[in-house]
Formats: sequence, C-alpha cells, structure tokens
Amino acid sequence: MPGPAQPITILVCALGGEGGGVLTEWLVEAARLAGLPVQGTSVPGVAQRTGSTTYYIEVYPHALDAGAKRPVFSLSPVPGAIDLLVSSELLETVRHIGLGMALANRTTIISASTRTLTTHERLHMGDGRVPSEPLLAAISRHSLEHQVFDMATLARESGTAVSAVMLGAIAASGVLPISRAQFERVIADDVRGTASMKGFAAAYGALTRQKESRDFVASAHAVGEAPQPDTTAAPTTGAKADFAEFPEAVRPTLALGFARMLDYQDERYARLYLDRVRTICAAEASQAGLALANDFATSRECARYLALWMAFDDIVRVADLKSRKSRLRRVRDEVKVKPGELLKVYDHFRPGIAEVAALLPEAVATRLRSWDRKRQARGAEAFAPALKIPLHGILGFASLKILSSLRWLRPHGSRYQEEQVLIEKWLAAVARGATSNWQLGQELALCGRLIKGYGSTNEQGKNHLLHIVDHLAAAAFFSGEEERALAVRDARVAALADDSGKALDVVLSSRGAPKTEVREIPIKFVRQRQPPKAEPAPAK
Amino acid sequence: MEISFDKEIRQLRLGAGETFHGEGILAITKALLQSGVAYVGGYQGSPISHLLDVMVQAKGYMDELGVHVQACSNEASAAAMLGASIHYPLRGAVTWKSIVGTNVASDALSNLASPGVTGGTLIVVGEDYGEGASVIQERTHAFAMKSSMVLIDPRPDLAVMVRMVEEGFCLSEASSLPVLMELRIRACHVRGSFTCKDNLAPADSTRKRFAEPAGFDYAKLAHPPAVFRHEKLKGEERLPAARRYIVDHHLNEMFDAARNDLGIIVQGGLYNALIRALQLFDLADTFGTTQIPMLVLNVTYPLVPEQFTSFCIGKRAVIMLEEGQPEYIEQEIATLLRRRDIQTPLHGKDLLALAGEYSIELIARGLSGFFSRYGWADVTPPVEAWLAANQARREAVADLLPAPLPPRPPGFCIGCPERPVFSALKLAQRDIGPLHIAADIGCHAFATFEPFSSGHSILGYGMSLASTAGIAPMIERRSLAIMGDGGFWHNGLITGVQSAIFNRDDVVLLIFKNGYTSATGTQEIISTPNQLTRDTARDKLQSLTSTDLTIETTLSGLGVKWMKTVHTYRVAEVRRVLLDAFTSDFAGLKVIIAEGECQLERQRRIKPWLAALMKSGERVARVRYGVDEDVCSGDHACIRLSACPTLTLKDNPDVLKVDPVATVIDGCVGCGLCGENAHVASLCPSFYRAEIVTHPRWHERMVAAIRHSVIKVFARS
Repeated sequence: MPGPAQPITILVCALGGEGGGVLTEWLVEAARLAGLPVQGTSVPGVAQRTGSTTYYIEVYPHALDAGAKRPVFSLSPVPGAIDLLVSSELLETVRHIGLGMALANRTTIISASTRTLTTHERLHMGDGRVPSEPLLAAISRHSLEHQVFDMATLARESGTAVSAVMLGAIAASGVLPISRAQFERVIADDVRGTASMKGFAAAYGALTRQKESRDFVASAHAVGEAPQPDTTAAPTTGAKADFAEFPEAVRPTLALGFARMLDYQDERYARLYLDRVRTICAAEASQAGLALANDFATSRECARYLALWMAFDDIVRVADLKSRKSRLRRVRDEVKVKPGELLKVYDHFRPGIAEVAALLPEAVATRLRSWDRKRQARGAEAFAPALKIPLHGILGFASLKILSSLRWLRPHGSRYQEEQVLIEKWLAAVARGATSNWQLGQELALCGRLIKGYGSTNEQGKNHLLHIVDHLAAAAFFSGEEERALAVRDARVAALADDSGKALDVVLSSRGAPKTEVREIPIKFVRQRQPPKAEPAPAK
Repeated sequence: MEISFDKEIRQLRLGAGETFHGEGILAITKALLQSGVAYVGGYQGSPISHLLDVMVQAKGYMDELGVHVQACSNEASAAAMLGASIHYPLRGAVTWKSIVGTNVASDALSNLASPGVTGGTLIVVGEDYGEGASVIQERTHAFAMKSSMVLIDPRPDLAVMVRMVEEGFCLSEASSLPVLMELRIRACHVRGSFTCKDNLAPADSTRKRFAEPAGFDYAKLAHPPAVFRHEKLKGEERLPAARRYIVDHHLNEMFDAARNDLGIIVQGGLYNALIRALQLFDLADTFGTTQIPMLVLNVTYPLVPEQFTSFCIGKRAVIMLEEGQPEYIEQEIATLLRRRDIQTPLHGKDLLALAGEYSIELIARGLSGFFSRYGWADVTPPVEAWLAANQARREAVADLLPAPLPPRPPGFCIGCPERPVFSALKLAQRDIGPLHIAADIGCHAFATFEPFSSGHSILGYGMSLASTAGIAPMIERRSLAIMGDGGFWHNGLITGVQSAIFNRDDVVLLIFKNGYTSATGTQEIISTPNQLTRDTARDKLQSLTSTDLTIETTLSGLGVKWMKTVHTYRVAEVRRVLLDAFTSDFAGLKVIIAEGECQLERQRRIKPWLAALMKSGERVARVRYGVDEDVCSGDHACIRLSACPTLTLKDNPDVLKVDPVATVIDGCVGCGLCGENAHVASLCPSFYRAEIVTHPRWHERMVAAIRHSVIKVFARS
C-alpha cells in the first residue's frame, strides 16, 4: 500500500444553473473509473438559480484494496488546503480566495476571465462594476499556478455548457491522476455527450497550449483588461476645424465633440461648441501650473460632457440613430441572424407631451403642456402612447426617416432654448471654479456626468446638477475652496449612487446646503373604509 | 415535472453485492427499500426533494414491490400518514425539510408518538442548517425530546447512513418510538458508494392487503385517559428499550486511543469535520485513526447514560461538539455527570461557537482552546499558526480590493413569470404610495432582494395572508399578501383565505399561479396543468396554467367575490389590476391571480420541441430583446425595474460617454418584460424586440423582399 497520502482537494465555484452539479458528477465518475476513492458534495438547492454555489470534491490519489480502510473525506473545503480551485466567474473566484481558501504555495487556480455582473453592480446609476484588475491581482498573488481564460466563449463556440469546459481545464491542469481518456469516457457515457466532448476538448487544448507557453500572468491580464478606446482617432466628417489654438491634451476629445455636433446639428452649432470649450480652457489656463500638471483635465472633461449635453437626446436624434443602416447591421449581429433567416425588429417608444413640446416653440409648447396637466388633474393618465414601431415595415421605417429629417426644427424648439440656458449656467460655474481653484473647476466639470438620458431621468440629472451649481459651487459657506471642491465631489458621487436623491440630500445637509426640492408626484390616496361604529351596549 | 429520473430508478433496483454510486439522499431511498418499507410519503423541500421525486417517478417499480408512495399536500398530512403504523406492522417512511416541515407536522407527530408505533416509522428530515440553508436556524432535536422520538444523526458515510436506516426501523419497532433521521445539507448531496442488499418486498403491502382492519384498542388512541399511560410508558418502557437497542447494536461508536486523558463526544453528522480538524493537530490520519478517544453519537436522542459515564470516568476533561443551540446534549450530559457525582470537567459551547454551522476551522479553534487548557502544548502551535495565516490571507485580499465584494444571492430565472409582477408592483406604488406587503415562502421571496427589496415579513409557507390579519386594520392603505400556488395549497387556503373571508378582512391577496412548487424543484400540485395538456399543446411556447381552474373554482366556492386574473408579463395590466384592487370600493378580500407558467418547466418543454422543428425544416420564430447602445441613456433604470440576468452592462462604445450601457446577452428567452417596462415606466427608447424566423414560409419571404426594396430607397435619401 502506498504511503499516507492526503486526498487531493478540489473546490468548484459556479453560479446556480451552470451545471456545477453535472461537473461534480463527472469528476466523481472519472475518479471511480481511475479506481480512486472519491467523494463529492455541494450546498445548492434544486432551484436556486443564478446565486453563487460551490461544489467540493476530494480524491484519494491511490487505488485501495477492496477490504482496506477507506479515507475519511471532508464534506466542506478547508481554508488553505485546496489543491485546485476552479471557477466559472472571475468575482466568484476571488470571493473564495477572500475566504482564505487558496494558498500561494499549494493552490492551482483555473478561472474564467469573464464577469457575470451581480445585481448589485448592475443597479448603479453610473458604473458600479467591480474592476477586474484587483481581482486578477488576487488570483496571481494567492496561487501556485493560475490559468485565467474566457470559458464562456469556449463554451458558446462549442455549443455546450460551461461545465464541460471546466472539466477540460481540470483534466489539462494535471492536478488529478486521471487520464484524458478516462475523463472522455465519462463524458461519452453522458446523454449530452457530443457537445460536451467538444467543449472539453477545446478547453483541454487551450489550456495545454497556455501551459506550454508558461505565460499565465500575461495572458490573464490580456484577457481581463477592458479595451481602451482610441481617442486620438477623430472620425472624418465634412467640416474641418483647426484645433491648434487648444492645449494638445484637449484636442482628441475636442475633435470627437466637434464631430458629434456636426452629426447632431450643423456647423454653426459645432462652432458654438468650440467657443464654449475655449472659454473653459482660458479659465483653466489661469491656474497654469496645475492645468499643465493635470494635462488640462478640467477642459478635457468639460469638453466631453459639454458635447454630450449639447447633443441632448430628443425624438429627432433617436429616430435618426434608430434608422441608420449601421444600426440594422448591428442588430443583426447582436441577435445572431443566420443566412436565410428573416428578421423583424420592433422599436419600443413611448413619447410623451414633453417630448413633442420640446420641438415646438415655447408658446405652443406651454399650451400643450398645460392641456396635458389639466387632463391629468381630471384623473386621466399622462398622454403617452406606447408604440411598437416595426422597423422592418415600410410605414415604420418611413416614419422614423421623416422624424429624423426634422433636425432643422430643433433650434426653434422650446427644449433647445432651455438646454442652452442651463449649459451656460453650468459652464459659467466651471469657469468661475477653475479660475479660483483648479480642483473645484475639475469637480464641477465632472458633474456633467449627471446629465444623461431622457424624460424624468434627464430632468432629475439637471435638477441635481443645478442644485450643486447654485448651492455648493456658489452659495454655501466653506472655509476654503478646497473644502468646497470636496463637497462638490461628494455630492456628485451621492447623486450617482442613488436615484431617489436621498443620498444626495444627506451630503447636502451635512454641508449646510438646502436639500433638493421634493418633486411633485401625484399619489392616489385611498383610505380604508371607516371602522364600524361601536355598537351600543345591549340592554340588560 | 419534466425531469427524468431513469438513471436514479435503475440504482434503486440494484441487488445484493452490487455497488451503488450516487447521492446520499438517493442512498437513503435505496435503504428504505432494503428495509422493506411499505409506504412512503412526504413534502418536497431542499435538501430532501430528491427522495420523494424519485419515488414518485418510480411508481412502476413501487407497484411491483407493493410499496405505496404519496406526494402529500404538506408535512402535516405526511406525518398523519404514519398513523398506519400505530395498529399495523407496516414500516413507513416520510420525509421533509426541517425545521419548517417538522413545525408543520408537529401536531400529528405528537399524536403519533403518544400511542407509539407497531410497525417501524422513519422520518427523514433534511436539516437545513448552516451554509446554503434557506430557513430559520433552529434544531430538530427539540422535537425529538419533547415528543420522545429517537433522533439519528448518522456519520455522513453512505454505508453508515444506509445501515442507520435499517437499524432505525428495527429500533422503532423495538421501542415503539417513531424515529427521526436528520441529514445535513452536504450529507444529502454527498456522492459516494456502498454495497447493496436486495430490496425487500413488504410482507403486508398494496399487493398483499389486510383482509380486515385491526380490532378496537382504546390504548392506541391519543385521547384521555390513554394519554396519561402513554406518558408513563415513554419513560418507563419505550425509552429504556431504545437505549438497550442502541447499546446492543453498537449504534454509537466508541473509539479508544493512546492519549486517553482527554476525550471528544461528537454528533455523528460532524464526524468527518472533526477528523479533518484533528488532522490539523496531527491527532488523526487520513483513514480516521485518532490519537484521542472519541464517542460518536449516531443516535443523539435518547442518550445512554452508561456510555457517557464510562467514557468520562478517568479523563481529565471531555468536550462535546454539538451544532446549533441550545446545547441540549451537553446540558443532559452535565446533569447526568452531576447526578452520578462524576467530576470530569465538561466543555462545549464555552469553547465553541453558540450559533452557526460547525466548520472545520471553527472546530479547530475550539479544540485548540481545549487542548491548550489541558496542557497539550505539543499539538496546538501548527493550528494556531494556521488560524493566524487564514486571517492574514483574508485581510490581504480585502486590502487588495477597493470594497467588499457584492453578494450574489439566488434570483428569479431568466424569463421568470414572477419578475414582471414585482416590476408592476414597484410602479404601482409610485401611484398609490408604499404598501404593507406580507411576503411568503417560494421563488417570489427572491423579490426581497435587490432591486425589488419588497416585503415586510415572512411568517411561513402559505402564511402571508394570515399574517396581514393584525396589521391590515391598523393601516390607512390596504395591505397586500403575496403567495405562490405552492403556498396556497400547502397552507394558505385554510389559514389565510378561509380566515380572511370569515372575518371579512379588507385585504388584497396576489397568488402566483405558475403551476408548480418551483422553489423546491418544480413538483406538481393539484392545479398543475395536466400531463396530457402539456404533451399535446400545439404551441409549446405558451403558458398552460390557464388550462387548470382549480384555484379559481376553489376560491369562488369559498365565497371570494372579487377575483381578477391577469397575465403576469403584461406589466401595464398587472399595474392596473393592482391599482384597481387598492382603490376599489369593494371592502372584502380581493384576489389577484397572476398567471404565467414556471419558465424553468416551459424551457424544458420548449427546447427539445424547437430543436425538433428546426431539424425537420419547419418554421420556427424565436424572440429576443436588445438595447441600442447609442440610444441607451446609461442610467440603468431598466435594470432597477427587472434585474433579469440577461439584462446586464457592457462598456460604452461611445468614447465620449463613461458609464456602461445596458445590453441583452445570449440566454434571453424573449419574455418581453424589457419592452413592457420600457413602455409602462417610460424608460429610454433604446429597447427593441427582434423576431428571428428560421425557415420562413414563401409568402413571408416575398413580403420581406418587397419591404426591403422599398426601404432601400428610403435609406438612401
């Protein structure tokens, strides 16, 4: 009998519904085929979809005689005593490293490079995603060896579940004394055999190659990093402008902004954009040292958010974007239309009075809005037809095309006028801030991020920004401009963190500024029926 | 349910000498058949669902053996089924999830345990405790003690678990006590093997029926004055008989060892964790040979005093490893030692955690304290170093991360019919203000998590409506109770609806009619669309729950006057019906039936159907939704109204914009919620619905070609 070897321990992390149970079954079967004592277990319930789940397997590395005493296997993983950690999701990998499971001089980690975002990350109004870099760093620091690769794509290309890919990776890792043929036999016996075998082989091949190149860390980071857009390449458009008078650091963003204005409206509007950025650059240049040290970050960010604000989304813009040729191509790719298949696309719209009024002159717009308000006061729902416009139909496409040609109407509309006033107000605050304290200018410029979207989202963003401009940038009392800059930053972060505006109010109050105004929401207040009056006491 | 258990059923047929390979709970099922069980019942729930699911599907084989299998309507009805063994020499087994199931069953259990049983009865409970648990954290142990039932907590080794089932029936018959067997989550799911015996066809069975019922015997009724004698019998005859059996058949295991000045007493279920912890001290080897004496309690109630006294005498101290609270065993041992004036110090909860699962790390920490207290300084340093290193690693990872990692609780499936109702509820509350919402047990309890964060209380399975009785009259706005059809049939119909009608409560009840008890593994209930309907439905994409009206007719029969049925995916309608219910002049119980078949079950039907159509070249239309990345506002309001796993984020392709945009990824089943929400909540106009037609018919192709050529002209302009 071989010496008192310890069982090989494997922790599998997956999301509910990904086939972790099947993977455990395969591993147990493979070990059994190889004649090795084995035990596997798990905690998930039967229908606990999408939550994080773990499976734990122990394999004794030597065959035992029939009557021999069997190892006592553990039912749960022991921190620092895991030989192989396999995970189908990057954050889940690190969750278990964070629980102390992996050990730098023992654990081999095989992890997906991709993220399946948690609900919590997806809810944020800005960007609530956990960055991948620290996750990858945790893997490389707490593993003996690690192989991080795109399991989801391999699975998709093989037409199988991620569990087959994970099995291939485990087989290739060489951690288990089980041959490739033994693993393959287990899969072949399974009902889902053929596709699983493809996924298994793909992962086995990919990992063997990666292992041979011995370049795990490099490959891990190559996969994990988000692609950085090349901002230097400005799109080519008709009108040309000379950006030489602007600081070099600002030019790439400026070029993009300029092109956006041309695409959105016309050359006159694009020139207005340049004039506006010029003012901010001049203001920032008054703090020459800091501006240079920071590569004109205030002007850069201001140029970014100004472009987005000036190209505010309205019916014309949406109709234009939706009816472009490139858009239809993108949709075909996204929904994976194969040759010979027909595609029908329906666009969901629900334009309200506000959207229509936006394109009309102020006087007409006011009348239209008051008509709708009166209707609502009578108990009717706000006028906003729910439309499903068939883009593949002649009428549907034509109506979008016609709407998109109404660009000329835009500058005469009430919304255009209103937006310009607000933009000027924000820019003035940024310029004032940039002149008095570089940091303050920077924070106010970044507040442009609050402006996005349509309808009530857009309204709320504007209200929040204006509130910051009115009360933090100017009115409230601070001991210094640095403190004011910090207050602006906190307010911006809070406004992005919570769409109810409560977090922003907390920050505002803590700085002595008034809370945001409570928006009027008509609530139908319904009282319960009144309790029955007490019955008179029965006569004796 | 659409899952097949053919493979499992083959395992159940294995004969003597063959080796079983599979999960713990299936091994228990096999052990029942090896013990000659005559009837089996239960109510599904993790982690024991599998036992009943497999048995129900194995009906053919059960008929061969003469075993009766029943999917009971709740745990109380399962426990009452055991009444068969009071008079008759029938072995019976039932199963459920504990602690909750045992709570529901406890009335029948008390009335079963009082007269006692003739045929062996085994109650297999899934002890849903610790990591992965989904219910309140309490111990089944209390029920064993209060009703005088045996409690088996076997070592999580398939061979031991199987033996304990067989012994459990004999023990039950030897003592007249019902026997509970508790299996922790991981023990139910453990994959291992054991050598089988032949299955035993029960002597009396559905194939060999009793010709006559048993004679009248007042002593077998849980009724005074018999109950007074029963109580005496428990203490004077039954428990002593059980103790004798435990000793005679060595159900508890005593392991002696070299370093015998200290000792460990452990619940059988914790044995493997203890051995792994002892390995860290180098006090045990891979095969479980220890250097410290151990008393392993495979039977944790009743305890055998002599086993403790002989184990404790002569030791400097012993420690009791007992999971959960209160520490009933430790208290009993303490009383026992005190009564017999044995001075061996007893440790347990003073050194180990009061609450929570006994993980290996937690056990090791407790033992380290125990060993250092009694001078075993040679064994503790490596464990202390290991504990410190674990802590250091955890801190190192935490330092590396910008913030603690977000949790990932389970959630609604892709395309779940229940999600849209919570979207509508969120929107309706914008109009009528916040409501008091009584939540319930079932998949819909996932709405308590983000982004819905809905529900004020959960009082038990099917209890939501009953739990509004006290608060509803105290709040100006009407209260809402949410219940699944599973909870409705389990309990809600009687405790909730009947009471609300009788008391003329002015409340709103929303019933999710998805057709199954989905959270426990999509088991069928009385209102499940029947199999024939499902098999013959021409369009397998459609929800079939509307084909069964058992819930509706039951409610009408009971006197519900205000009842509206609504299709869950139509968010606008659901919202409107909710508003109706909350503003209606009708003052009694208002019931909203939210209809939409469980997506998990539908997909199990749809996938093979579509694959077959595809293969035979027939027309197939699939739907999925998408987001236009350049129109998406990037504020993620759509996700806050749905949180569908396929509606997620990607980097913004517009280099000027910094925030990620919403995107629909592969896996979208085209349920339509995105589009509905975009309309009802006036979200940004970035959503589109794509219908992809494979193998289109000739006239479809022609229309498409005409459209295409006209649009091309427009597109150029």
